[in-house]
Amino acid sequence: METALQTKVEESRSELIQLVSFKLEQEEYGVNVLKVREIIRMPSITRVPNTPHYIEGVINLRGKVIPIISMRKRFSLPEGETNSQTRIMVIDMEGELMGFVVDAVSEVIRISESEIQPPPAVVNSAVEQECLAGVINQTDRLLFFLNLEKLISRDERSLFSGMM
Amino acid sequence: MAIECEDQELLDGFLTETAELLEKLDDDLVALEKAPSDTELMNGIFRSIHTVKGASSFLGFELLVKVTHKTEDVLNRLRRSELEVTPEIMDVILEAVDLVKLLVSDIKGGDIVEREVDETIGKLLPFLSENAKEATVLKPSAAPVTPAAPAPQATETETQPSAEPSPAPEAAPVKTPEPAPRVQAPPPPAPRDDKKGDDLTDNTTVRVDVKRLDDLMNQVGELVLERNRMMQLNTDFNGGGDDTFGEEFGKLSKRISFVTSELQMQVLKMRMIPVEKVFKKFPRIVRNLARDLGKEVDLLVFGEETELDRSVVDEIGDPLIHLIRNAMDHGLETPDERMAAGKPRKGTLILSAAHEGNQIVISIKDDGKGIDAEKIARKAREKGLITDEQLATMGQREMLDLIFLPGFSTKEKATDLSGRGVGMDVVRTNIKKLNGIIDIKSELGQGSEFILKLPLTLAIIQSLLVEVEDETYSLPLAAVLETLRVEEREFHTIGGQEVLKLRDSVLPLMRLQKIFNVAPSERSRVACYVVVVGVAEKRVGLVVSRLLGQQEVAIKSLGKYLANLPGIAGSTILGDGRVTLIIDPAGLMENSDGSGGGRIAA
Repeated sequence: METALQTKVEESRSELIQLVSFKLEQEEYGVNVLKVREIIRMPSITRVPNTPHYIEGVINLRGKVIPIISMRKRFSLPEGETNSQTRIMVIDMEGELMGFVVDAVSEVIRISESEIQPPPAVVNSAVEQECLAGVINQTDRLLFFLNLEKLISRDERSLFSGMM
Repeated sequence: MAIECEDQELLDGFLTETAELLEKLDDDLVALEKAPSDTELMNGIFRSIHTVKGASSFLGFELLVKVTHKTEDVLNRLRRSELEVTPEIMDVILEAVDLVKLLVSDIKGGDIVEREVDETIGKLLPFLSENAKEATVLKPSAAPVTPAAPAPQATETETQPSAEPSPAPEAAPVKTPEPAPRVQAPPPPAPRDDKKGDDLTDNTTVRVDVKRLDDLMNQVGELVLERNRMMQLNTDFNGGGDDTFGEEFGKLSKRISFVTSELQMQVLKMRMIPVEKVFKKFPRIVRNLARDLGKEVDLLVFGEETELDRSVVDEIGDPLIHLIRNAMDHGLETPDERMAAGKPRKGTLILSAAHEGNQIVISIKDDGKGIDAEKIARKAREKGLITDEQLATMGQREMLDLIFLPGFSTKEKATDLSGRGVGMDVVRTNIKKLNGIIDIKSELGQGSEFILKLPLTLAIIQSLLVEVEDETYSLPLAAVLETLRVEEREFHTIGGQEVLKLRDSVLPLMRLQKIFNVAPSERSRVACYVVVVGVAEKRVGLVVSRLLGQQEVAIKSLGKYLANLPGIAGSTILGDGRVTLIIDPAGLMENSDGSGGGRIAA
């Protein structure tokens, strides 16, 4: 499948980008690989009181304390069980690290930019229109391309700080 | 006019050095006023001003040169005992030094403002001219006092003939020509060589960027955490009861633990500076206040060598100035009042610092009229800051604490010194920010004492680990006054507020379980613990499930996304790698005050 993808990619003339694809509920999503610092298994998470519900808490990432966000909760999906597939994607959000809990991380795929179609006007899933940067429609799969920096909007960032 | 300076580094060096010199000058000048015959001090002052003059002329800051030049001339005459040290001369010199500071801060700000310097210079001139002859007549043999000191700068002194180390009885008129032409004449440019007043540079010290020290501190913080984890591992491991490996590992972790602690101490010490850095501003302030207020006071300073972290030193200056102003303005009486009260004319103000465990205790004590608690309570009532009911329940101590309320001021007429009704409130806020406590002791007619207890550093704190249901939290030990084991049936409720009778006072309680929405544990407990915390002058009891022990923790920021969470000061990583949140008692109390729920009676 990987090779098939690559051949397909090489056919197109436009620029290639690499995506990390991950699963959430039944759907597959992708984020730019350059934003992903690392992918880790679920460590023990310390709950932080009085924060929005989708903030799972904070973890110790080799001496650094970083906040963890549940993608399921953020997208208002039913809560899932943590299992051996569950991963945290550590994303570089404008210089600050933040972890996102996803059901599973599948692979790194290469896509030509021309393959990314603008998101449909009405998004069927609960994903907010804002952070959906595009759709990648291949014969055997459908990927939602996310811009995670938009997932936590500026407003929300300041919201965190004022909450009680 | 923007500053054109081709060599930024040179400029930076100049600014740093000048700032240091000027800071010291204030202190020295005030000391000189008390001990006019101290030639070493005198020479030191002269050298400082001389160095500033030399450096600013080298960099072409003409206004600065003008002022320092004249100041230097006056100092030179003092140095040669051609003038007597009088309060009047000191006033003028201090004013000139202030002007120099202003000019330097202009340069630092990057813009040179055309400031009026002639007025100050004009005040200096009389001491150069009119007394000149008289002084020469009076002290013809004064010259020998001078020789040694200025030698290091001799080469640079062409703008200042009198600084030459020749002990020759130079005729006074030569040194002090008619002032008028000299003011206009721009000082000749200093020679373009690189010598500076280097007798001031201490070769045994290195100046290091604070940022680097902070980074180092963080690294050591990491190491301390890893050390803790290793110790924990060792403990867990030994529980298994292994043979030689376990033994060796145990020894190793002990050694590493020891070395790490030493290293941490050393790094902490590197960031330590004597509290003197702040204290040395005060003689000058006290002197000026005393003159302005027409009061007489002796300032006694103790323990200025006490060291504390520079982050703390940077923060305590303002609160201390406020407290000193208050003591001078509200505390000490005028000489007449003092005589009438049967006290010595001169008041005494004692400023002291000392280490007490992991804290530094700074006290400001005066022998003035003390604080009238009743009067304070009445004032607070009049201003509507408290209600009659609140007043009725208050003891002496609570009444005194009222002065920390925002908008409180007892002085009938506000002076420009203090009594704007913001002072003590600001003090409290600043001390709170530093995890400190402020205490007042006062005896009517005998004087009052303000005691600040501050942590030595802000980067690593001693903390008390507590368990709230199944979650662990860390409390800064500096804020913890005591812990009590109690049963919940001992709690009382007053107007919806849970309280605990603690000896002769009533302690408001806050349940951390409720504040942090902690899920109730399945384990049932008969007893719980109350941690009495004090922030600034307030006391409150935090209800927790269990006390886990004391640990030294490095404070970790939660990052900008989770910054400013109410009641949470940050986080730390425990020995087992788990993240634990550090409770901010000050934030907790503030929040409950502001929420209007009246969780704590103020």
